[in-house]
Amino acid sequence: MHPTAVQPRPAPLAGGRRFPRAWKQGTLWTFLTLYAMLTLYPLFWLVISSFKSNAEFFNRPFALPSSWQFTNFVTAWQSSKMGLAFFNSIIVSGASLVLTLFVTSLAAYVLARLPFRFKGAVLTFFVIGMLIPIHSTLVPLFILMKQIGLLNSYWALILPYTAFALPTAIFVLTAYLSSVPKEIEEAAYIDGTGLWGVFWRIMLPISLPALSTVIILSFLHFWNDFSFALVFISKSTLKTLPLAIANFADGYQTDYGLTLAAMTMAILPTIGVYLAFQEQVMKGMTAGAVKG
Amino acid sequence: MNTIAVRRFVVLSLTPALLIYALFVFVPVIWSSYYSFFDWKGIGAAKFIGLRNYAEIIQDPIFWRALKNNVIFVLVSVFGQLPVALVLAIVLHKSNALQRFIRSAVFVPMVLSSVVIGMIWQYIYHPQIGILNFLLDKAGLPHWKLEWLSDAKIAIFALAPPLVWSFVGLYLIIFISAFQNIPGDIHDAAQIDGAEGARKLFSVTLPMIWSTVQIAIILCISGSLKSFDLVYVMTKGGPAHATELLATYMYNSTFSSYRYGFGSAISTSIVLISLIFIGLSQWLTSRTSKK
Repeated sequence: MHPTAVQPRPAPLAGGRRFPRAWKQGTLWTFLTLYAMLTLYPLFWLVISSFKSNAEFFNRPFALPSSWQFTNFVTAWQSSKMGLAFFNSIIVSGASLVLTLFVTSLAAYVLARLPFRFKGAVLTFFVIGMLIPIHSTLVPLFILMKQIGLLNSYWALILPYTAFALPTAIFVLTAYLSSVPKEIEEAAYIDGTGLWGVFWRIMLPISLPALSTVIILSFLHFWNDFSFALVFISKSTLKTLPLAIANFADGYQTDYGLTLAAMTMAILPTIGVYLAFQEQVMKGMTAGAVKG
Repeated sequence: MNTIAVRRFVVLSLTPALLIYALFVFVPVIWSSYYSFFDWKGIGAAKFIGLRNYAEIIQDPIFWRALKNNVIFVLVSVFGQLPVALVLAIVLHKSNALQRFIRSAVFVPMVLSSVVIGMIWQYIYHPQIGILNFLLDKAGLPHWKLEWLSDAKIAIFALAPPLVWSFVGLYLIIFISAFQNIPGDIHDAAQIDGAEGARKLFSVTLPMIWSTVQIAIILCISGSLKSFDLVYVMTKGGPAHATELLATYMYNSTFSSYRYGFGSAISTSIVLISLIFIGLSQWLTSRTSKK
């Protein structure tokens, strides 16, 4: 899986040292496994608690539920408009993703493959965006959205989400496309393919690995965002999942089983996506972060 | 290929990205620094008041409290997340099944919404029903039980574990990929020179990944200065501003007190402070690496 795997070590020379080393290894791995368990425990606790009745939640916080209350999930789903929140999150994340991919792949193609003046300046302009704290734009964006009448609309989230995903996405894609050999598109130009053709039929397919990195990184941002949704959306029918969950907790504060069931449902999609695309997620995270 | 067609294509392709980015990232930053010189309630006329918002910020004890809390977050991230991640990365950079499992486990919180993370930890810390106090009770330490999030003296420190918990995975992955980028012959050379264990770590491995550590520090700083969601969900900056951060202070001033000009001044300060911190860390780490 990893091309630069570490070389096998030569066997230890002193046979007498083997026993303590095995011991050391054993302790290390026990400790690491414990650490992993500890990390997973809050999630495990969340899931088992979401099946409990309120009384059991108080009295036996660590035990498995004695009777599994699937009704928590049904009630939470029905009483909190979670379906609507899911729908809103899917629309907003999906639209932002499509917009981000289209806009960034075009820009990255141009920045990586075509000669023009001010190229360095444009690239720097985009990359600076990675350092700007999102929250410093909340106030002016709120005013802007209010003035152009976009507050309480899907666009109030789609446009800023896309804008903030751009710097990382353009960076990852441009870096990737710059490493593609020139001959590939030169052959296409000779065959009479235009710039659009090269972009659609050659560059997009080639950049698929980098694109999937961008897809995963951006999707996680869009799906999990709280602050933009908090400020730009106040209409209950437009609330995204994180906002709906936060509200739900305020409204059903004392009904723990219900609240935890709502939270469990909310984390299932991202955990599912993560488990399915683990390796890609990790690669994406490093590509987006290390090179930033 | 004629140059006019190329030029038209370049302009056409860059325009949407530049437009969206400029309009929703760049202009707002400029705009908020402009509004920071005004007294404005969001409606009606804005009144130019020069640097008075900044003068007020500087005299405001809550601002300094918020900045101090942000610095605590930076320190917790740099000295909490990074060493843990580094140690884990050192032992986890090969990949057998157990290593992959531990890696994935440590990373999972990264994919969760900070709202959910905040709420989970709210339950853990809850004074009556929380598992932390429950555990202390069972362990025979009832006098250690605390109101973790509503005690002004400890609330900010209670926020540290969720912070570390949710971000260690990111740095773990960053460090692992840095380790994997070290060419194999350097390991061999170190082995031949007899460098092993801690010696190899400090004189070979760490210097090799030092630029990655520097980037991780920058990420920690900008990430910590950006923190908002977790704290907003868990304490809203309370009790009595004990967990106020620059971002929650900005949010509260703007959207609860309707002081847009003042809020903009805080926003601008956040950008400036981020740049100062990042510059400072760059300077410090490049000095230590030259030594």
